[in-house]
Amino acid sequence: MMAYLQFVWAIARKDLLVEFRTHERLTAMGAFTVLVGLLFSFAIDTALVRTQDIAAALIWMTIIFGGLLGMGRTFRMEEQDGALSGILQSPIPLDALYLGKVLANFILLSMMVALVFVVFTAFFRLQFSGSVVALLGVVSLGVLGFVTLTTLFSAMASRSTMGESLLPVLVFPLLIPVVRFGTQATSRLYAGRPIAEVSGDLRLLAVFAIVFTIACAWLFRFVIEE
Amino acid sequence: MMARKWFFRSTTVVLVLFLVRVNSAWAQAGTPLGEQTLGRAYWHVFTAYAILWLLVLGWIISIVRRLRRVEERLVQE
Amino acid sequence: MLLLRWSDGGVQSGGDVNQKQMQLGVGVLGALGVVSVLMLHWMVFFWVPTESTMGVVQRIFYIHVPAWWIAFLGFGLVALCSAVYLWLGDERLDRAAVAGAEAGMIFTTVGLLTGPLWGRVAWGTWWEWEPRLTLALILWFIYLGYFLVRKSTVNPEQGKRFAAVVGIIGVLDIPLIHISVTWFRSLHPEAVILSADNPMNLEASMGATIGVGLLAFTLIFASLFLARYLVSGYEHELDLRDAALPVEQGAEA
Repeated sequence: MMAYLQFVWAIARKDLLVEFRTHERLTAMGAFTVLVGLLFSFAIDTALVRTQDIAAALIWMTIIFGGLLGMGRTFRMEEQDGALSGILQSPIPLDALYLGKVLANFILLSMMVALVFVVFTAFFRLQFSGSVVALLGVVSLGVLGFVTLTTLFSAMASRSTMGESLLPVLVFPLLIPVVRFGTQATSRLYAGRPIAEVSGDLRLLAVFAIVFTIACAWLFRFVIEE
Repeated sequence: MMARKWFFRSTTVVLVLFLVRVNSAWAQAGTPLGEQTLGRAYWHVFTAYAILWLLVLGWIISIVRRLRRVEERLVQE
Repeated sequence: MLLLRWSDGGVQSGGDVNQKQMQLGVGVLGALGVVSVLMLHWMVFFWVPTESTMGVVQRIFYIHVPAWWIAFLGFGLVALCSAVYLWLGDERLDRAAVAGAEAGMIFTTVGLLTGPLWGRVAWGTWWEWEPRLTLALILWFIYLGYFLVRKSTVNPEQGKRFAAVVGIIGVLDIPLIHISVTWFRSLHPEAVILSADNPMNLEASMGATIGVGLLAFTLIFASLFLARYLVSGYEHELDLRDAALPVEQGAEA
């Protein structure tokens, strides 16, 4: 068990180290976040719409589009350098490889999400009066669910001839529960509703994350095998 | 070739007869709301059935074309 | 024409018994299907009375409901065959999954297009974010992905595995998507047709018509499913032969 977790951490650590050295995906996702916030501020007529009411929708759409931007490149490095066959020949179990990638992606995306909240709060002067713990729960479970699916499908997309353009077509329909429950819970928390009102969303987000972590970890071997 | 021509002609006749009969049958269909929406609803029903059979026909054609290609490949060898 | 092609022994020279039986199955099921489809049309257009509140447009139901039945049957087959295919790696399961997915895609499209034709008259709008309709649209896109990944790989074996993965993930996601969409406001779609004990909407004659519709669609589906399955079997055999050919020639030279 310990050895397995060490494998997972080794993979995640390698990805994070490379990312912190090159800043490729972080720069792309960070710039995307700020620029989308900028575009939204031009697109929304604040005289007609209260940004407070649509903040949750904007936040989640930014997370999903920006996240896809970064997640799509998860296996880019391995594909280009042929490092994948090296990893495949190493004793690392394939599900550990997958979980390591998920862990790295989760950490990277969480950093982007933090920026999303900072940027949107600043740009749209959002007031948050709800429970911070509940918001953290909603966001991290939603992000985990998002990451499990997109990591699996980015492996698929990077090995297909269509490349990253395949990714949105595959994951958007599957991500509807994340969008639905994540947005609903976030907007309720922003409206200052009690935690009891979001516990249902939280539970469903947790179910989504758990189901797809297990299922994708199992299915990953069929995607990565030659 | 003849058989095919005959087939098309006979189906056309059957279809026309069918349309005429259905038309008269529905003209009598008479509840208040039924009458109200009859003109439009009538086309909706026809379109729905046409869509169904066109799509199924499309699937049949695609299967037959695959079969043809298989036969061509067999002949080539 | 199709029937003739099948009955004259098919494409395969020898053709094992199993294949012959399936070819016969395509013909018999297809013939029964055509008969019951003709029967269905007679019942729908000449026999069954017009429903009193919705009028003529209610007759769309006699194809709409069977279309959904086949769509779900097809997608159920996709999920089942995909999972067992990944597990056992048997080519035949992949062929069955493709046949099921094509059927599911065709009949989901039928359901998606015929629903609004009815809804325009019954609800007054072409499109409504109504749970079933929404779920159907999402399902359609999931299976669009299924066909996209199949074709998007250099190695066809990989495409088959990708497609199977999409099929399994799709089915796992459907319950959650279902919960997400039912939180939209519903326009009472369930009571209209699915509750058989609703006396106002489903008279005995209408029930009989729906029954014949379900039978007709199932027969047609079974026939075409088998035909599609057989054809991909032939394609596979030819691929194998073509792949083996250059090697043999090389050996002779």
